[in-house]
Amino acid sequence: MTRKQKRLAIIAGALGFLGAAAALTLYALGQQTSYFYMPGDLEERPVASGQRIRLGGLVEKGSIAHGDDTQVRFAVTDGDHSVKVTYAGILPDLFREEQGVVTEGAFGADQVFVADTVLAKHDENYMPKEVADSLKEKGVWNEN
Amino acid sequence: MLFWILAALLTLAAALAVMRPFATRKASPAGGADHDIEVYRDQLDELGRDVERGLIASAEAEQARAEIGRRILKVSEIAEQQQAGDTNPNAVRLIAAIAILAVPLVSWGLYIATGSPGMPSQPLQARLEQAPSNTSIDDLIARAEAHLADNPQDVRGWQVLVPIYMRLGRFADAETALRNIVRLSGESAELQGALGEMIVGRAQGVVTAEAEAAFKSALALDPGDPKARFFVALARAQEGRLPEAHAAWRDLAADLPDGSPWREAASQALAGSENAAAQANAEAAPGPSDEDVAAAADMTPDDRRAMIAGMVAQLDEKLRENPTDADGWRRLIRSYMVLRQSDDARSALERAVAALGAGSPQSQELEAFAASLGIAVE
Amino acid sequence: MSIELGHFALVLAFALALVQASVPIIGGQLKNEALMRIGEPAAITGFALVALSFVALTMAYVQSDFSVLNVWENSHSAKPLLFKITGTWGNHEGSMLLWVLILFFFGALVAVFGRNLPLSLRANVLGIQGAIGSAFVLFILATSNPFARLDPAPMQGRDLNPILQDIGLAVHPPMLYLGYVGFSVAFSFAIAALIEGRIDAAWARWVRPWTLAAWLFLTGGIAMGSYWAYYELGWGGFWFWDPVENASLLPWLAGTALLHSALVMEKRSALKIWTVLLAILTFSLSLLGTFLVRSGVLTSVHAFATDPTRGVFILAILMVFIGGSLALFAWRAATLSAGGLFQPVSREGALVLNNLLLTTATATVLIGTLYPLLIEAVTGDKISVGPPFFNLTFGPLFLPLLAIVPFGPLLAWKRGDLAAVAQRLFAAFGIALAAALLIYLVVDRTSVLAALGIGLGVWLVMGALTDLVLKSGLGKVAAPVVLRRLTGLPRSVFGTALAHAGLGLTTIGIVAVTTLETERIVAMQPGDSVELHGYVLRFDNLRPFTGPNYTEDQGNFALSRKTGADLGEIMSSKRFYPARQMPTTEAGIRTLGLSQLYVSLGEKTPSGALIVRVWWKPMVTLIWLGALVMMAGGAVSLLDRRLRVGAPMPRKKPAALPQGGSA
Repeated sequence: MTRKQKRLAIIAGALGFLGAAAALTLYALGQQTSYFYMPGDLEERPVASGQRIRLGGLVEKGSIAHGDDTQVRFAVTDGDHSVKVTYAGILPDLFREEQGVVTEGAFGADQVFVADTVLAKHDENYMPKEVADSLKEKGVWNEN
Repeated sequence: MLFWILAALLTLAAALAVMRPFATRKASPAGGADHDIEVYRDQLDELGRDVERGLIASAEAEQARAEIGRRILKVSEIAEQQQAGDTNPNAVRLIAAIAILAVPLVSWGLYIATGSPGMPSQPLQARLEQAPSNTSIDDLIARAEAHLADNPQDVRGWQVLVPIYMRLGRFADAETALRNIVRLSGESAELQGALGEMIVGRAQGVVTAEAEAAFKSALALDPGDPKARFFVALARAQEGRLPEAHAAWRDLAADLPDGSPWREAASQALAGSENAAAQANAEAAPGPSDEDVAAAADMTPDDRRAMIAGMVAQLDEKLRENPTDADGWRRLIRSYMVLRQSDDARSALERAVAALGAGSPQSQELEAFAASLGIAVE
Repeated sequence: MSIELGHFALVLAFALALVQASVPIIGGQLKNEALMRIGEPAAITGFALVALSFVALTMAYVQSDFSVLNVWENSHSAKPLLFKITGTWGNHEGSMLLWVLILFFFGALVAVFGRNLPLSLRANVLGIQGAIGSAFVLFILATSNPFARLDPAPMQGRDLNPILQDIGLAVHPPMLYLGYVGFSVAFSFAIAALIEGRIDAAWARWVRPWTLAAWLFLTGGIAMGSYWAYYELGWGGFWFWDPVENASLLPWLAGTALLHSALVMEKRSALKIWTVLLAILTFSLSLLGTFLVRSGVLTSVHAFATDPTRGVFILAILMVFIGGSLALFAWRAATLSAGGLFQPVSREGALVLNNLLLTTATATVLIGTLYPLLIEAVTGDKISVGPPFFNLTFGPLFLPLLAIVPFGPLLAWKRGDLAAVAQRLFAAFGIALAAALLIYLVVDRTSVLAALGIGLGVWLVMGALTDLVLKSGLGKVAAPVVLRRLTGLPRSVFGTALAHAGLGLTTIGIVAVTTLETERIVAMQPGDSVELHGYVLRFDNLRPFTGPNYTEDQGNFALSRKTGADLGEIMSSKRFYPARQMPTTEAGIRTLGLSQLYVSLGEKTPSGALIVRVWWKPMVTLIWLGALVMMAGGAVSLLDRRLRVGAPMPRKKPAALPQGGSA
């Protein structure tokens, strides 16, 4: 190979590599991102059971029920609609009634949302942003 | 004034710093390329050491040496082209003057716009050491808090703070203080009573199940504790079980000597509650009162069922027209429970919550009441 | 008065930074020496003023001066003294002041230690530092002034967010900022070189210590943040691919690429344009991180309370500096001359591959972090990009990078012999393979990934050792010669070996804990025991306790081996801070060798049992020990005498120079 050919080969290799990386990134973005829903959105855009989503809203007042094992049941609400959620594990410190929460998981066959991750805010000034925005639109939540 | 003097001194120092290069005549520095050449010489030295250590073959070392040599040549050429030109000294002076003037003008202008020059620092310690006469209740509390932060074992301190917190409505702080007292001096009826009172305060006067539990444990420690007895009776009254409440208050008033504040409170509560009950009866009670239900217990089972069913139906109907009557709901739920129709009681509770608005204080109260009867919302 | 004086000092520093940003650069254009020299005293005085201002704010915190709005919002008189001091930067305003303090600190360092730089370069570097400094001081004064006052002053403050009342968080931000802001110096060097239109191998030598220092602190800052999240958030994760974490990882990845490409530039005068671009990008990513954390555009557990005007202001700063520098780059890059040639298989080639992989990895992390913003702006849909995305994209890019790391330092410059290098690495490869087999056969037969990953980590450590063995001639020459050779090696060789070995250790830790971790979630009554990985944890009791500004329930556990040997108590608790009405989890952690047992408390069940979550985290400490070793590598490289080539004597004819410079 001449020097020119070599250089071309290297550039082609680098471009091929970058192309592969870009393809992988696009594939991953298509597969591995989860959409954020509020309970009210589920009527407009139904979600198949098993599809991974993030469900956010406020923890409904009086809905938290601890099983005798590590199961916890609660409901996520946006003021109008509410969705039942089950979760096994330890809830975040700031998981409380009527506080913002984001859960990640999928609907089971019985229309109960099975969460594998529950995120709550980490101090009293912080509300998960998606939740805050959506609730503000509905006028349920205000900054103070 | 001292502030302005110090500010002026700082400004002067900053302006002098900017002026320094014009004031001091430094020896001319090394030319433009000297710094670069210094680096390349060092690279040559290092190359020599690598060869010595056998890390690099001599042919490659030769090539590398030539490469570094070329860099030295190139940088020298560039440096020659970039000989310092003669700048107009007036332009330089003008720039320097603007720069030096900018320092005080920008800083003083901005500070006057944003600062509060007249305001002194107010360290907490110094404020606490002021004469107590011209300080407010907040100051006194802060003093006590500061003292307790250093001496958390001081029971007296916590004891002093509890009633103050209660009066100011700082129930969370009161709870912390109470728990500290419990930690330091152990359980007592008085403390449990205070804890219950704190919870009642937090719930805006409602004796919740949690509060009642605290009063009950106070009574377990001291069966005669008047405060706990008073609040347990109040709990019955709030649930609508007036005969029980009235009896308890009567007993309390009888047990206590004249002039005891709790005897006073019990008598007043009793009188108030009886008046309210009498008035309610006079207005053709819209549902079975507790007395009615109790009276029905003396009838034959069929009569009783018929009477209660009729009254309950009446109340139910009335509540359909006027669903915001929280007391009515309370009576209805209670009636269903007496009839052991817990499903109806539950559906009544659900309707009540729907009518009063989920999460509203009234429906919360109602739920707490229902929970005390053993009904929970699904 | 000290508060107002601090405020005034900050304003004065702003005025001085404006002068520093303009006069030296004008002087450079006019080639006037006095004007160029203004940068040095201005930078040093500016640093002194910002330091004064920072001390004034810290004093206000220590004295609980609630007439300062910022102190009232974030402090409490009952807080321990340490957290009063660290609370100074536990909030947006104070941490911004710390950011600026560190920026001015680096400016002053350049002024003091930059005597080996040509005057015009030094003037331009200080000018750019001044420009960045003035922009950020203006940002503080205009939108986030920590010296705003309250009148009348309240008697009690609102307390610091309890999860920030922790020693880890006390040290983490200063470290992280030293890293973030340290890259501003590399940026300023790049812009200064572009302004002058002259850049060559010497430039790379001059910029190297600054890049190394920034990289070192950033490594420490990221590791410390990760350890803090691990023990304080109570769920035992060490990395969440949280946007704010990504914001610190991005400049680290780009900075690591910069360190390596600057090596090529220094040795071979090649990759000049690329290196300058990387220097610009690295600091741009630091600025982007600052923007993302403080503007509230991203959701994160670490985000500060947000305010839209701040976001717009930082965005404007971002546009000016990133846009301006890239425009300058586009304009000047064509005039920079190309450098030396090299074969694909060579040290240069390996470093180029390193850069290719690192920058691509940076790009995927950047895309994953910004994609939700983009989608929301375009379609209005709210999406989240979580760990699965990063594992799928970052993993395939980083694993090959780790695999080729040991080859790099062994390849010769210009033209390398891959076969010969592979032969020399044979022993290292054998040991790594043995380690992988051992893991597979003895520890866990279900996880091939664990065996391969740990093998990869061992390969990195062994590869680093191989480099030292070869360079010292161990086994080939007599022991005294080996010793002499070792001591004679440039420190940077040890630095490289340490940094690469540290990377290997961190890899082992990450792989072990993600693939071999075991977890039990159990509801426990006092007296109950749970068994995990050969250890028995008995729940003794739950006791209330009152701290200075919190109350807590302490769960006491007794740990023993299955064989019966007693290992003492573990205490895990749930705290409640009344001032903020906020609970926190204090995990109970016991280090056993390199591994840890992690106990975290949950709620009580209706039957009165306590939910307890117990993890066995094998070799987890290696994650952070590896980072410490990497930092040690950076520190050793920083001490390399080549980085301290002295300034030429004024007006001295370049004659024979003393060995290794004078500094």
